[in-house]
Amino acid sequence: MARIAGVEVPSNKRVEVGLTYIYGIGRPKSRSILEKVKVDLNKKVKDLSPDEVTRIRKHIEADEVVEGDLKKQINQDIKRLMDINCFRGRRHKMGLPVRGQRTKTNARTRKGPRGSMIKKKK
Amino acid sequence: MGRSIKKGVYVAEKLLKRVLEAKSAQKREVIKTWSRRSTVLPEMVGLTLAIHNGKKFIPVFISENMVGCKLGEFALTRNYKGHTSKGSK
Repeated sequence: MARIAGVEVPSNKRVEVGLTYIYGIGRPKSRSILEKVKVDLNKKVKDLSPDEVTRIRKHIEADEVVEGDLKKQINQDIKRLMDINCFRGRRHKMGLPVRGQRTKTNARTRKGPRGSMIKKKK
Repeated sequence: MGRSIKKGVYVAEKLLKRVLEAKSAQKREVIKTWSRRSTVLPEMVGLTLAIHNGKKFIPVFISENMVGCKLGEFALTRNYKGHTSKGSK
């Protein structure tokens, strides 16, 4: 059990995988982090020395945007789009697909369950 | 996929000329443009551009946040007011 970036507690998996439990870190980023701090990515998280854990933690705190900060950043980016009233922002406001997908059918991920569309006006 | 960096951002030359003129002359007049495909440049901030939507010109005040978007994103070409609801008949 190791605490990195706030609440994250990766289990007894390989570090490479364990780090991906942190929001904002996937496999590629996990690998690049471990390469930079020179930790063997096949090591289990429980086998890490306290020093290695600190190195990983320090690196993430210093160089990566993860968890709450990343979520905040994403929300800000979306809010910026909505504020300037551009096409993408409007799609966000209306809860429709933003990147030009069809909406005649499908688009259920953005629209939500069928028939439950509550009239949302911009 | 985005445009290659080598080419730089696209702005219609005519529009760019008028924007630079307006900036240097401190004019506050609205610039009409059909060039929806042009990118918003930092130079345009503070100007009001009238962007053609296929039918008429929509005046848009360019703010700092808009830099990097295309002009067309601010003038919708479709006008959808929603279906008539059953209650309003």
